[in-house]
Amino acid sequence: MTGFTIIDGSIVGLYILGTMIAGIMVRKYVGKVDHFLLAGREMNVYLGIASLAATEFGVVTCMYTAQNGYELGFSGATPGIIMALSMLIVGYTGFCIKPLRNSGVITIPELFQKKFGTKIRWAAGVVIVLGGLLNMGVFLRTGGEFLVMVTGLNIHYLEITMTILLIAVAIYTILGGMLSVLVTDFLQFVVMSLGLISVTVLILINVGWSNLTATVTSHYGAGGFNPFVHPKMGWPYVLFNVFLNFSVVLTWQTIISRLLAAKDSKTGSKIYKGTSFFFVARFLIPGIWGIAALTVLGTDITGGSSLYAMPQLLNKILPVGLMGVLVAAMLAADMSTDSSYMLTWGSVIYNDILAPFRKTKWSEKKGLFWNRTIVAIIGVFLLFYGLWYPLKGDLWTYLGVTGTIYQASISTLLISACYWKKANSWGAAGAIIVGAAFPITFLVLEQLPMTASFAKSIGPYYSGIAAYIFSGLAMIIGSLMKPKKED
Amino acid sequence: MGEVFWLILTVACVVWYSTITFYVAIKGVGDIKNILKSLKSNIDENKTD
Repeated sequence: MTGFTIIDGSIVGLYILGTMIAGIMVRKYVGKVDHFLLAGREMNVYLGIASLAATEFGVVTCMYTAQNGYELGFSGATPGIIMALSMLIVGYTGFCIKPLRNSGVITIPELFQKKFGTKIRWAAGVVIVLGGLLNMGVFLRTGGEFLVMVTGLNIHYLEITMTILLIAVAIYTILGGMLSVLVTDFLQFVVMSLGLISVTVLILINVGWSNLTATVTSHYGAGGFNPFVHPKMGWPYVLFNVFLNFSVVLTWQTIISRLLAAKDSKTGSKIYKGTSFFFVARFLIPGIWGIAALTVLGTDITGGSSLYAMPQLLNKILPVGLMGVLVAAMLAADMSTDSSYMLTWGSVIYNDILAPFRKTKWSEKKGLFWNRTIVAIIGVFLLFYGLWYPLKGDLWTYLGVTGTIYQASISTLLISACYWKKANSWGAAGAIIVGAAFPITFLVLEQLPMTASFAKSIGPYYSGIAAYIFSGLAMIIGSLMKPKKED
Repeated sequence: MGEVFWLILTVACVVWYSTITFYVAIKGVGDIKNILKSLKSNIDENKTD
């Protein structure tokens, strides 16, 4: 069954060794907390594009976008188009990102302190970390399942393989922080892109465009090409994704950390514009792999889940050598995502949640120690949560719902902090509570056997849309309700 | 109509992604050199202070 040979193994081994060496070598340039978290704010455009693209494409991304293609046809790539447009609009206008970068803060909640006070900064930090950790919690197992299926690795080795990979990533992230992340991201971007492009070309040649479109037409009709007429999508799906992707562009910690690490706001805007079209590719390329899986394998998937269709296809069609390139590419994608997620969410824990414990300024040495410790703790969390959380529903929706826990409120707070003079702490508190309540309630209802069918009848899109709308309303009503003398 | 849209988008993705990978791979090396140089001088300055 396996198409993974010693030649492929050598390609993968060389790649991992090279990445580790590069990641560890740059640790000597990290002397301050600012170097560790933001690489001294010295990042320029091309490194920023490579890093952002590599971070935002992990194995988990490949899996859920391929699942979208398999289950929804070409319409499954709609979120990518929306996100690309959001990146482009924000990049050209500088909406929120210009005042955010110019403020010189390390994290978004730090900006909120100036407008809404210390408590809101802390609360914002908590919801950001909660949403982010729940989101990244599923990365490890999903990545492992991909590798097992593509390479034919024994399933019993999944945990140990992913543990070793995570330890490798944690080592260079703990030692070199953002600088190691940027340098390894660059290598990972090149390897990942080579793998993605070559596999896509192979699939297009072997399966053929006309077969792909015929499959989509026979399974989904016009809905496979147009999300508005797809029975599983429609306007609630599109609208939820407009809210979700616009808020991702404004507040997603891994994206914002690149903006804050950029040399200036102009560089940050260029990175946004330069990376925007990548988000179409991010959804469409694996989406095509998913459609190809439906074309070649049909609906009879080993393991039962549509999530496994694309890896099973790759196992079947990739030749020796290209299999190694693909596995190296996917490891690259996963390593860059894991390292960046651990570092950037760790930065919120250090900078905002631990802020009340830093009454006096900590030394750089102490700050570095705590940042490294936090990254290590997040790594341990990823290991355990990622191995036992039972994922229900489709992956993209899970990620969207957990991300919404903070994106609805934090995007509301960010826009208000930048552009609404009357916004205050009451409105901010209301937005945080309301924004988190909807997705958390939905997740709980979905997990409980008694309420699972009720949650299914509501669906994730309406609860997601409600979170954004009511979070905005809470900000307006709360801000207007606060007595002026307390401002 | 829908098929043509997705065909154009797919071709654009493959062409754009191939081009940007090549371009960023070349230019990114310069960015890494600059960032390391800048951080090194920053650390050296702190040592002499």
